[in-house]
Order: sequence, then structure tokens, then C-alpha cells
Amino acid sequence: MEYSRLRKITALAGVASLAIVASGCGGGGGSDEAASADNPVTLTVTTFGQFGYDDLYAEYEEQNPGVTIEANNIDGSANARVDAFTKLAAGSGLSDVVAVEEGWLGSIMEVSDQFVDLNEYGAADIKDNWVDWKFEQGTDPEGRVIGLGTDIGPQALCFNRELFDAAGLPTDREEVAELFGGDDATWETYFDLGRQYNEATGKAWYDQSSFVWNSMVNQMDEGYYTADGELNIEGNEAMRAQFDLLAAGTADGLSANQKQFDWGKGKAFVDGSFAVHVCPAWMLGTIKEQLEAAGGGPETGWDVADVFPGGASNWGGAFLSVPESSEHPAEAAKLATWLTDPEQMVKQSAAANNFPSTLEAQQKIVADAVPNELFNDAPYGEIFASRAEGVVAQFKGPQDSEIQENVFAPALKILDSDAGTADEAWNEALQLLNDRVVNN
Amino acid sequence: MTTTLNRPAASSPAPAKPVLTFRQRLSVFDMKASPYLYISPFFILFALVGLFPLGYTFFVSLFDWHLLKGQGEFVGLRNFQEVLQDRFFWNSLFNTMSIFLLSTIPQLIVATAIAAVLDQNLRARTFWRMSILLPYIVTPVAVALIFSNLFGEQYGLINNILESFGMDRILWTNETLPSHIAIATMVNWRWTGYNALILLAAMQSVPRDIYESASIDGAGTFRRFFSITLPSIRPTMIFVVITATIGGLQIFTEPRLFDPRTYGGTAAQFQTTVLYLYEMAFQRSNFGKASTIAWLLFLIIVLFGLMNYLISQRIATTGDGRRPRRSAGSRRRKRSAAPAVVLPAVGPQPPAPTADPDHGAGAAGPSDTNGRNVR
Repeated sequence: MEYSRLRKITALAGVASLAIVASGCGGGGGSDEAASADNPVTLTVTTFGQFGYDDLYAEYEEQNPGVTIEANNIDGSANARVDAFTKLAAGSGLSDVVAVEEGWLGSIMEVSDQFVDLNEYGAADIKDNWVDWKFEQGTDPEGRVIGLGTDIGPQALCFNRELFDAAGLPTDREEVAELFGGDDATWETYFDLGRQYNEATGKAWYDQSSFVWNSMVNQMDEGYYTADGELNIEGNEAMRAQFDLLAAGTADGLSANQKQFDWGKGKAFVDGSFAVHVCPAWMLGTIKEQLEAAGGGPETGWDVADVFPGGASNWGGAFLSVPESSEHPAEAAKLATWLTDPEQMVKQSAAANNFPSTLEAQQKIVADAVPNELFNDAPYGEIFASRAEGVVAQFKGPQDSEIQENVFAPALKILDSDAGTADEAWNEALQLLNDRVVNN
Repeated sequence: MTTTLNRPAASSPAPAKPVLTFRQRLSVFDMKASPYLYISPFFILFALVGLFPLGYTFFVSLFDWHLLKGQGEFVGLRNFQEVLQDRFFWNSLFNTMSIFLLSTIPQLIVATAIAAVLDQNLRARTFWRMSILLPYIVTPVAVALIFSNLFGEQYGLINNILESFGMDRILWTNETLPSHIAIATMVNWRWTGYNALILLAAMQSVPRDIYESASIDGAGTFRRFFSITLPSIRPTMIFVVITATIGGLQIFTEPRLFDPRTYGGTAAQFQTTVLYLYEMAFQRSNFGKASTIAWLLFLIIVLFGLMNYLISQRIATTGDGRRPRRSAGSRRRKRSAAPAVVLPAVGPQPPAPTADPDHGAGAAGPSDTNGRNVR
């Protein structure tokens, strides 16, 4: 008696679990009616770093009854990449809206058919909102738009007034821009000023080499890849020349050998470890976070100047994508479109200290001229709009971020920690490239 | 068996057996099949989440297999060939072994010492015993956070202290040996108490009168520890060594979180094999090679398991063989220990000799039990 009852229970449990499995597998399609109070829809969004979307989510939920947004923010781009790739490989688990970083957009482009063509949801009509290169970056070779641009990373130069003052350098941001050479600023001047600073104070000039290197590579016509998608490192004289320039500076003690994106939990921005920092627009948000973590404020003396060695350069920036696995592609595309609308971009920029990729939002930020308190009331919009002029989109290959983070960063660490010569570091980079990219 | 019972009942020399009812047959089936059913969940689960992935991983390792693009062309054993020539694979094996040795050896020595101290008559015993287990209940993530602050290169507590004494900073993440020591410290901090508790349990089962007679014979504390405690806890020690080996070869969390922005250091200074596997799969997107590394690691663990097995076999046999050959000193121990062991085994037999056959039939197995059911 007991036995047969047990059997029944077991059988029931078996049927129930089968049903769960079956419904789990069949969930792909999903209804895609517009969300309303009667048809509530939950949209998931995954972003990374400083995205400044929290208030916008609330606003969207208020404007669109029935929509609930579940937001997930990952600490940095590298971990967001692993998260997105793992879920793409698993075929499920991706959010309805996924933020993609420029550095690994190349890999995403290789599987662009796994993302919704946003042209189906009106992306072509709003094409002119964006600076043209940004919109093109989000378009795959077949002309499908898989990413709507959020921000771009035009680079300016952050400097520390207090430290400049102590070393007898000018502190006014316009004088500083002139000091570096204004529109004709070169990396040579940058390193020479560094040597001058180092002689006066005995301190390092920049935090670590790989950010400087990244900036140098980003402003070349062709970076790690040629425009045809071929690797462009071995035998690249121009790149090697820049590498030697950086190596010479580092050998002269200009690098503080900090840990990137860690900086001693922000302490390095407070204790005067280094005096200049390459600043793509979004870096201001990162520095703000670091200063807060270390208990620093405007009095630490950070400021940003409208100048960049070697001319215009763009580093990073993100896109919003809707994966094919989304159960509510129309609602997700609507949200992504709304979030990348110029009006929302202005708010995002204010919250996250980054620079918008749509022209209207850029103009609005310049016109509003809201000063950035943390950076000595710098006219943030004006500076970065000026820095964005002349930026040309560089072709990003499938392994671009891999080369930056795992080929050159380790090689440059050899220089930073004074463990080898420029030749040794360059050869290590080539060796790593061979191990990790060519023969992967 | 039930079918033979139907017709030939008349000619059978055995007394006629009545035809089994459905419920009786069900009961027979129950007896025979149920034990297998009861143990089957483990084997089904093992086949599903253990055996199948193992086989499938091998299958994947024979292909070019990209994380995003999926299965590529069949390459045979090329992945194995390439991984075995990969400097980072050997580097990761070296790191794993180095961290394993740096953590396991001090850990076991300290754990044994702590257990020996806790085995004494202390005041507030439970408090001390619980305290050493505290690190174990802290999640590894929190441990890694705390220790990566301690071991920070420029702002870490330890380097600050060293500098205030005028000593050089130690490059905890950039140099190989210091980084291994830092990671081994995390592992030790977390696992020493746990192992101490297991060893303590073993020590407590050593009969106290052995210690008494040893001290009457004039053996000091250390002599008692090395001649009585250590030999007595040998089987538990083997268990602890085996679990520590398996855990040590699979170490991942601590090196992963020691520097979360890299996969085991900027130049793989503390990249362990599992971390290398993870990087291969999710950073380099090469599932084929990642599966190859997984298989090689599996083979290495099997190898270690076999070595452990052989060593423990040897220890077990020498342990058995030695005892009877012990000299006078240990014979006294045997005398005092033996009754406690022998008596319970002898005890149950004399009181109920008549109950024995029935008892025996029940234990002999399901096939003999239908006689009892029929009756």
C-alpha cells in the first residue's frame, strides 16, 4: 500500500519535472504584444562600469505602464565580455538589452546573426541622430544594425593642478593645453614634460603604460588590424616607434606602475602618485568613482584640459544590442531606442560623466555648459565636443580587446616593473600574439 | 522462478508450494529490485552530470570548437599536441603544484598541531573548537577581498608595515613566489581549521588509557604524540591528504580573485591549471583546447589518486602487520585496547543461538527469502 502510493507520487513528480523541462525548452518564441497594464512585460538590461541609467529606468517604467526593468550592472567591460560570451555560447540567459563595448564589438560582429536587426524597429529612420562613424560601427557587413551607440570616448588630458603647481608648471587648463602644444600636441612633448616633472619632483608622470599605449594605438589610422581585418603588428614600424617612445619614458621613471582599474582602490588619485592621466570622456566617471572610494574630492586638484598628444583619439564607447534570444524583441528594441535617444543621452551623460554619441545631445551638452565640479568646474561638454572633432573610427578586429589586454598589457608591465628592455617587451608582445591570437 | 512453481508442483520432491498471489509476487519483485532502485538516483545523476560531460568533453577536445561559433572541423589529437607544447600549460601546472605544496604541507602540520592542542583538557573547549572553524564559513570571495588588500603591492597592509620598518616592498602579484605564498596563505587560512577539526575527531577516538599507560611508562608529551597519536590517526590523515590533493589541484577561486582583472597575473605568475582552462574557454573562446586541458587535468588527478591509493595501501598493510609484532611496550597497549574491541563482537553470539538461522537467512540475500514468505 505504502509502496504503491510512493509509486504514484514518484510518477507525478516525474511528469511534473518533464513538464517543466518541456516548457523551459519551448519558451523561445514568446508573445510579443506591446506591453501595457494588462500585458505586463519584464525587460532585463545588462550594462557595465559607469552607465548612469538608474534614473532613466525609473522614468521609462513610469512612462510605460506594464514594463518592469530588471537591471544588472557588471563591474567592468572585461567581465561583461565574459558574461555575454558565456551566455551567447549557452544559447540562453542573455538580457533583453545588452550593452556591448567597442573593444569586443568585433567578436560580436562575427556572430551578428544572433542579434536582432534593429532596422526592423526603425533604426534606419533615426540613423542621422548619431555621429556617422558610431552608427556604422554598430552595423554588420550585411547592413543589419545590431547595436545603437550610447557614448563615445574622445580623449582629453586630465592633469592635477596641485602637482603641476608644485613642479612649477602652469595650472590653468588653457595654459596647460598650450604647454602640451595645443592642436599640435605630440607624444614627444608629453614625455619631455614628464621628464621635466620627474626631475622637479622625483615622482611618476602617468599611472601605468598600457592606458597611454592604448591611446596611442587608437589614434592611428589602422590599429592592431588593417582595415581589411589583417593583423597589423609584426613589422609595423610606426607602431614600434610609438612603443619605443613609451618604453623610453617608462625607463626614465615616468610610470607609477599602478594596477589599472584598481589604483589602490583609488588612493593613487589622492596621494599624488602621478600627475597626468589619459581621459576618454567616460574616464571622468571612473576617476570620480575612484576618488569617492578613496575619500577624495575636488580639493585633490584634478582638472581636464582640451588637448591630447598626437591629435584626436577615441577610446571606447558602448552600444545597446538586443539578442535574438530575447522573448520581447519589440519591447527591448523600443527601450534601447529610447535609452539612446538624444534627450536621454544628455541625462545619461550627466549621471555617468560620459560623452554622448548623438549630435543633438552633444550640442545640448555644449550649450548647457554644466561645469564639472569634481574637475575644477571644467566646461566638460565643450572640452569633449572639441576633442571629438576629427575622430575617425578605427577598424576593430575580432581580437582587439584580447590584444590590448592580454598581449600588450603584460608586455608593457615588463617595462613598468623595470623587468626588461623595450626590445624584450616588444618580443614578448609578439610571442604572446603568436600564442594567443595567431595560433589560438 | 515464479513460473517453475506453477505446474510441476506434484512431481516436485519439495513440499507443494501454493501459487503466489499478485501481491506476493510484487513483494518478491520489491525485495529483488528495490535496492537497485534505491541506489539508482546516484548512478543516474552521476551518469548525467559526471560521466556524460566527461565523455562529451573528450568529444569536444577533438574538434576546433569556438565559444561563439560552435563546432568546427575535426582535428583529432592536434589540440592535445598543441596544449602539451604550450608554455602556459606547463607554467600553470608548475603554479598549481607550487601553490599546492605551499598550502598543503604547512596546513597539515599546523592543523595537526592545533588538533593536538585542542585534544588536551582545555577550559571552554567548545569555544576553541568552534573558533578554529570560523574561517571555513567565510566565503572564499570575502577571503580573497580581504587578503588582496593585505597583499596589495603599493597600498597593502603588509607592504606598509614592511616599509615602515625600512624594508623593501614585496611584489605580491608581480613576482611568482610571493604571489604563490599570498594565495597559499588564503587557502591555509580557510582550510587549516577544517582539517584540524577532522584530525581532532580522529584523535579523540584514540583510547585514553593508552596515553595513561604510556605516561606511567615515562613517555613525555612529545613521545606520546609521535608514538601514539600520529600512528593512531593515520587513516584520517590519509583522508585529509587525499581531499587536500584533489582540492589543491583544482584551485581556482583564490587565484581568480587575487587579481580579478587578469587570469592569474599579468604574466600568468599565479595562473593555475583550472584558471588557464577558464581563460582558454571564456577569454580565448577556444572550447576545443579548454576541453583538452580539462582532460589532461583529469588524467593528472587520476594519477595523483592512484599514487595516493598505493601509498595508503602500503601504510594500511604495514599498520596491520606491525601491530602483532610489537614489543613488550606496545603489548600492554594491545591488552588494554583489545577487550574494548573484541567484547562487543563476541557479545551478541552466545545469547540467542536459536535465532541465528532465521537471522542468517534474512542476511543471506533476497533469493533465499521466499521460503519465509510462503510460510
